[in-house]
Parts: sequence; C-alpha cells; structure tokens
Amino acid sequence: MQINQVMVSARPGDAITTSALELRALLRRVGRSEIFSRYVHGSLHHDVWELKDSDWLASESPEDDMIVFHASIGEPDVDRFLAGRPERLVVYYHNISPAELFYEYDPHLAGLLESGRRELSRLADRAVMAVAVSEFNAAELTAMGYRNVRVAPLITDPYRLKAQEPLLDMQARLAALEGPVIVFVGQLLPHKRPDFLLESFHVLTTYLQRPATLVLVGNHRLPRLSRALEELSRELNLDRVIITGAVPDAELAAWYGRADVFVTASEHEGFCVPPLEAMAQGVPVVARRFAALPETVGDAGILLDPGAGPIQMAEAIARVLTDDRLRAEMIERGHRRVGAYDAAAAGSALLRHLVEAAA
Amino acid sequence: MAEADEVQSLLEELRRTVEARREDGFYPAGLEDDLSAHFRRIVMHRVAPDLSRLDASMERLRAVPGLSPDRIPSDSGVPGGPALHRGLARLLGRQTQGILEQVEELAAALRAVADELSWAVRQASTHVHTDLIAQIDTLQDRLSALERQPAGDAGPMALAELSRRLEHLERAEEARTFRPSYSAEAFEAAFRGSQYDLKSRYRDLASRLAGCSPVLDIGCGRGEFMELLTEEGVTCSGVELDAGLAEAGRRRGLDISEGNGLADLAARADQSLGGVVLIQVVEHLTAPELLNLVSLAADKLRPGGRAVIETVNPQSLYVFARAFYLDPTHDRPVHPGYLTFLFRQAGFDGIEIDWRSPPPPDEILQPVGEPGADANYERLNQLLFGPQDYALIATR
Repeated sequence: MQINQVMVSARPGDAITTSALELRALLRRVGRSEIFSRYVHGSLHHDVWELKDSDWLASESPEDDMIVFHASIGEPDVDRFLAGRPERLVVYYHNISPAELFYEYDPHLAGLLESGRRELSRLADRAVMAVAVSEFNAAELTAMGYRNVRVAPLITDPYRLKAQEPLLDMQARLAALEGPVIVFVGQLLPHKRPDFLLESFHVLTTYLQRPATLVLVGNHRLPRLSRALEELSRELNLDRVIITGAVPDAELAAWYGRADVFVTASEHEGFCVPPLEAMAQGVPVVARRFAALPETVGDAGILLDPGAGPIQMAEAIARVLTDDRLRAEMIERGHRRVGAYDAAAAGSALLRHLVEAAA
Repeated sequence: MAEADEVQSLLEELRRTVEARREDGFYPAGLEDDLSAHFRRIVMHRVAPDLSRLDASMERLRAVPGLSPDRIPSDSGVPGGPALHRGLARLLGRQTQGILEQVEELAAALRAVADELSWAVRQASTHVHTDLIAQIDTLQDRLSALERQPAGDAGPMALAELSRRLEHLERAEEARTFRPSYSAEAFEAAFRGSQYDLKSRYRDLASRLAGCSPVLDIGCGRGEFMELLTEEGVTCSGVELDAGLAEAGRRRGLDISEGNGLADLAARADQSLGGVVLIQVVEHLTAPELLNLVSLAADKLRPGGRAVIETVNPQSLYVFARAFYLDPTHDRPVHPGYLTFLFRQAGFDGIEIDWRSPPPPDEILQPVGEPGADANYERLNQLLFGPQDYALIATR
C-alpha cells in the first residue's frame, strides 16, 4: 500500500508545501510516497509531480492505497481528479480563507475560495478521516459534516530560519534603520488586515509619538490591496513603512533578527506559522484573539480582544517597546512556547492518525 | 498558569489607558472609525452601482397577488348598488374570467421579462465592473511604471530632437522641389517649337482616338493635342500642373483644369473614359507613379477605350545627346519594352508601338560607298539615330 499526497499549488517557502514535504519524508520511511500538485513552482519540479502525471499512481490494489488531500483553496481539476480516484481519502485541512473579503480585490480568487469550501463539503462523505491543523479548523470541518475529525499540529520547523547565513548587504540596510522595527510576516491578504496594522502604526507614531519602522514581509498577490495600502500610508504620511513583497528565507531571517516586536492583525488563520518563527527568534508577539491564533500563540504573546481597535494595538506595541521587564518576560515565554511545540511529535501524531485511517 | 492572569491584567490595563485617553481627548472621538472609513474609500473609490431600488421594485412586483374576480370591489354608495354590481358580475362572469386569464398570462410574461432584465443588469454591473477595474488597475500599473522611469526629462528631449529632425527633413524636401524662375511657357516656346509644328506632328496620333469620347489629356500643356482631338470630333478635357500653361489653354476655350493628372484620373468613375492621353509626360513620372498610372487607366477606361502614351525613345542614343536632358524635370525615360509589359499586365490587348520623329536625315551617318564600312554605319545609325519618340497605343 502507498500513501500519496495531493495539493493544489506547490511553492517553495509556502507552509502547506513545507508540511507536505515533511510528511512525505515520514511516509517514505515506511514505503512509497509521492506528492502531486495541480500547479508546481519551477524550483520544485524535481520534488513534486504534476497532477497530470498521476498515471504514476498505478497500483495493484488502489482501493488499499490512500490519498492525503491538502485542502486550502478550490480547484476544479483537483476536485475532478479526487472524484475519480478509488483510493481511500484523508482530508488534511489547512483552512480556506473567507471568500467574502476577497470579492472587491479579486473576484476570481474569491470564486476559487468559495468553490473550495463547496468542494470540501462534498468530500465529507467520501473521506475516511479528516485531519485539522488546529481545533479551530476541526470545528469548521465538523460543521461541514465531517465525522471522523482529528487534530494534529502543522508539521513545521520554527527554527528552520536559524540555519540561514546572514546577508551582508541586508545587515547594512537593517543597521541604517533607526529606532524600533515592527515586523509583520504573511501574505498581504484582506483577512490578515494589513490596513489595521497601518492604522495602528499611524496611532503609534502620530499620537503616541513613538518613531518606528513598520515592515510588511510577504508576497502580495492582490494588486488592488497593495495599491490601497500604499495610498493609505502615503496619505497618513507614514514614510517609514516598508512593504517588501516575497523575500528569500535569508532575508526573512534577517527581518526577524532585527525585529523588536512581531505583529499580526489577522482575523482568520488555520494555524499561522510566523508567530512561532518569531518566538523561535526571540521576538515578542502581538496579535488578535481570532481563529487558530490563541492555539498557536498561547500565553506567550499579547492577544488583543476581537473588539479591540488599532488604538489598543498601538498601545500594546508601545508597551512592549518600552517595558523592558514585559519584553523579557514575553521573549522567555515565547521560547518556552515554541519549545513546547515539537515538530517530531506533530509528525508522529499525524502519522498515527493516518495509520488508523488505513487500518 | 499564573502568567495567564498577568496577560489578562495587562489587557485590562491597556483598555483602561485607551479609555482614559479617549475621554481626555488625547484620541479624537471616532478616530478608528474615520481611519477605517478612509481605507474603505481608498479601496472602493470606484464603487459598483447601487441596485437597491431595482431590488425593492422587483420585491414589490413579486409580492403582487394573482388576478381574481373576487378582488373586484362590488361595494357602492347608490341604493341597490351592491346588488346591481353583483348581478352584473354574475352576468359578465365568463367574460371577466376570460379577460383576467389573458391579463394574468401577460403579467406572468412581463414578470419573467422583468426577472431576466434585473438579472442581466446585475450581471452587467458586477462582471463588467470588475473586468473594467482590472483593466484600469493594469493601466495604472503601467502608467506608474512609466512615471517611475529615471530619465524624467527624456520625453521633452526626445520631442526637441524629433522637431529638429523634422525641420531638417523639411529643408531637404524644400531643396529637392523644382521651382524654376522662368515660366513653363517660356521654356516651351524656346524648345518645343511653334504650335503649328506641334499640331502637324501629332495629327496622326489624334486620329487614333476617333470615336473614343470622352478623352482625358494628362499633362495637356496649352492644349494643342486637345485641339486636334476636337477637330476629330472627340470631346475631351485636360489636366495641367503648370498654372500658366493651363490658363493659356483655357483662354483658347479648352476645358483644362489645373492640378495633378494622376489625382484627377483617380477621381474619375470606373469605365467612364473612352481615352487617356499622355504626350511627353511619362518621362516625368517616378517608377511608382508610372505603375499607378497604368492601373488607373485600366480602371477608368471602358472596354474598347484607348490609352495613348507618347514619350522619348531611350533606345535612341541621339535622344540623350539632344533632347532628353534639355528638360530638367525629366525623371527617367521609359523603355517601350517595359511600358508594353505594364499595359499587358494590366489587361490591355492590341498594344502597338508607333515609332516617331526620326532624327533629321542630315544628322545621320552617310554611306561612303565602301561595303564593309557602310554596314557598320548602318548598325551605328540604328543604335545612335533611332526614332526620337514612340507612342504606345493600348486598347482596353
């Protein structure tokens, strides 16, 4: 028997792709295991098969085999593919961003997110098991009609960036930044509320008079949103906002290294890797109590109430930047939190679930 | 965990701080709402049309109940009125029902139309809207990329350079244009010979156009050939580039317009001409103009119509020694073989060449009575002293 994985889009540095590669490494200890993706980034062609090459799945008794499907967005080709396969299906749910926030930026992407949820609901009867990376995701799966739902934390290595060689030109650039640096890491998508961060930063620098630099690190795939953010920071005179776009790991590591505080205003996350990475680098975390964030951040960071606005976030950031005792405490707790997260344990939990599903 | 309480108390403290600062005006009232509304405005500054009124109307339409005779009021203030109404209703019941059914059918059809239209409007306003926004965004991106280009004044500089080159070209073109200080009439008078000479030289050629009315004479000069045509009973008009010559022709009662002959020919209706004449004109044309002339002639001549082209004969070297370079406006001589080829290609048949104007007999080499030398003189005479002109006569 073999366990293969199917996903929509394989990209380097992407949390879902990373977890698929980690899972494959675990699965290969016991047998054959491959990853098939509808879209494969050029740098991964030696590692991940394209879905159209799935003839490779030829097996003597496919009904004994298993497919682990990474659900994160809609994709008609993948949906059709899964419908026609005889293997047992395990849905690995990373969460699907809420479509309604995307309509005004990219109706096509919004449509894919919406169909992703429909496709996922249809698979409820077909799947022998569903694995969620957080309790938050598990609740969503149950609401969609999934019966056999398990939780296993996302397989990720929060310390992976420690191995990055420091970039010399980056260091010079970072040294030139005066004052504290506030870093957000994540794709610029509407549910992550980068606008909320800009507004907080405005309050912090204009009202609380704390000169600082805000850095938004991550791919921006919605031009309308990026443009609106640029326009907002121009109109609020926020000349110390840096929007980097997608960066290589070495640069990401450098930003974490220079960060005085990590912030996210996100309202929807299935797991959220960046706060863990920040804690691993000794950076205090300020976030909002939404979705899976309380599970991931735990008591190590400041989690503002959902009703708290940008002013409260600005006050919290100012507090972390000025209160040395609090900073030290948060950094200490962060190390404990990320130490409690055990990639090997996460992997074996997932593996145990899969073995059970296969039994 | 004890620390969890600490986090809670920190949050409490932050909340209290914000509250206190709001109250003493450190944070203006409505600051967060204003910021949020401002961002919404930036994102949505191209909003979709408001369809709420359409939706409300559609709601009302759907709420209208079906038609029924029961809903026709039968109350009346006149004594005995209600009874009368009911009586009439009973009497007309079948007709009323029939009318109501037809109206109901119409109403159902109209409701369906309204539903379809409402759907179509929504589709158009959302789909087209997002498509347009995507296009506007693309354009904005390209525009800002252009605006970001470092050489900020490359535009004006390029314009100045273009303007300088244009002036240069205009000066060069000006220098190429031939504008003699003498009049064309003076030139003709000095070199072409008297009008009587010309007319006697061309009478035979004019007779080839008998029955070809109307004829257009391109480059008609003072109109000598047109006079010959008139004498043959052929109606004709002429075009002449030189204003002085055209005016001289008109004074003699001829229908001559001033302008470009090719343009005049192009403006004629297809198959509207019986003949086209160009006497000593094609050697003034450029190669493309010559091509254009032949194809225009093919279009404008009716079947059976004739083109008569008379020009210098480049096969006679005497021409170059004597006549051709006397006229500075001669562009290139046209070889009879090439001209024949062009007209044949354009679909003319019955093409003949009429060799004209042999050099004066006293200029050609005379036999000396020695057979060998005389044979050589004969061959030299053919090469050097061939006919000075030829006329090509082509029938459409």
